[in-house]
Amino acid sequence: MFNQIVLAGASEGLALGNMLFVLVAFLVLMLLLKRYAWGPVVKMMEKRAEKVAHDLDTAEEARQQAEEMAAKRSEQLQSARTEANGIVSDAKTAAGKQRDQIVAAAQADAQATKEQASAQIAHERSEAMAGVKGEVADLSVTIAQKIIQKELKLDDQKALIDAYIEGLGNK
Amino acid sequence: MEKTATFSIAGLTFDWNVVISTLVSMTIVFLLALWTSRKLVMKPAGKSKQNMLEWVIDFTNNIVDGSLPNKTGNSLKFFIFSMFLFIFVGNQLGVAFMVDVGGNTFLNSPTANPLVTMTLALIAITISHFLGVEKQGFKNYFKSVYLSPFSVLFPLNLIEQFTSFLTLGLRLFGNIFAGEMVLSLLWQLAQSAGVISFVPAFLLTIIWQGFSLFIGAIQAFVFVTLTTVYVSEKTE
Repeated sequence: MFNQIVLAGASEGLALGNMLFVLVAFLVLMLLLKRYAWGPVVKMMEKRAEKVAHDLDTAEEARQQAEEMAAKRSEQLQSARTEANGIVSDAKTAAGKQRDQIVAAAQADAQATKEQASAQIAHERSEAMAGVKGEVADLSVTIAQKIIQKELKLDDQKALIDAYIEGLGNK
Repeated sequence: MEKTATFSIAGLTFDWNVVISTLVSMTIVFLLALWTSRKLVMKPAGKSKQNMLEWVIDFTNNIVDGSLPNKTGNSLKFFIFSMFLFIFVGNQLGVAFMVDVGGNTFLNSPTANPLVTMTLALIAITISHFLGVEKQGFKNYFKSVYLSPFSVLFPLNLIEQFTSFLTLGLRLFGNIFAGEMVLSLLWQLAQSAGVISFVPAFLLTIIWQGFSLFIGAIQAFVFVTLTTVYVSEKTE
């Protein structure tokens, strides 16, 4: 191999032409590759890497947001449930209270009605009694009159009037 | 391989063999790169040509990152990519085609020519020294490359720098040249005794070509890997 280099170098002035040709050709190849292949592809690869990184960031953000929202939602659900429980129990207490009130009022009402009824009954009875008494008195007077008219003689009448008048005079 | 046709322009001598082989391999490299980089998309499909090119780019980028995971490495990536593609395609060119007219070779692997490989090695080594000076300043570069670990070792270091340049080029040349040599010997064997020698030589040629493809890929890889190693030696 050395031989070849030395020979080539000795015979053709270090083979400068070939080396220069390869050098220039390689530089031209690099220029062309950069312009038409490497440049666009690497740009695209960078763009992709950027997009992937960006997408990952966005995904992370979205995940966090979703987590936050879920937490908030469950919190809201919890509070709503508590509220609902409160409302139900409040309603229960209120209903119990109202029931008691209604029952008490009804009892009182019934009591009052009962009392009123018995008072009326008593009143009516006493009225009836009084009426009966008066009638009995009238009846007895009538009966007495009838008996007295039949038995009282003139003399007796006179004596009775006298006794009455005398009684007036004494007074 | 031994004889080549030459032509001269302005006092410089050119080998037709070198000119044609280099131009053909570079054209193949460029056309391949051009073909694979058309209609680029953000998300290429599974077996698209874009993926192929990106795979090659990733491959050479990883070679660079292996020894130069820094800014110097980033600026070197494109050079390594071009160098790898050219050497790879050049190595395979002679495996498939060898055009020989009247004892003069016109088309074979450009990397089977010592002048071509030494030129490539010269480019690589020059870049490594240039980056060394640019990175560390001439004083530090000189100290770290030639006077370490002891300044007494200056002659040895000087020789080492020269041999690393020499071996970089000659290793590539030797491997590819030997491969082509064996291929042409097998061709002679095939011609030697009609069908009796043709059939076994044909089979041996297939085997040797397969091996040469492997060697060509390995040598391209070794060349660019060593280039990055030399650069990292001088920049750190």
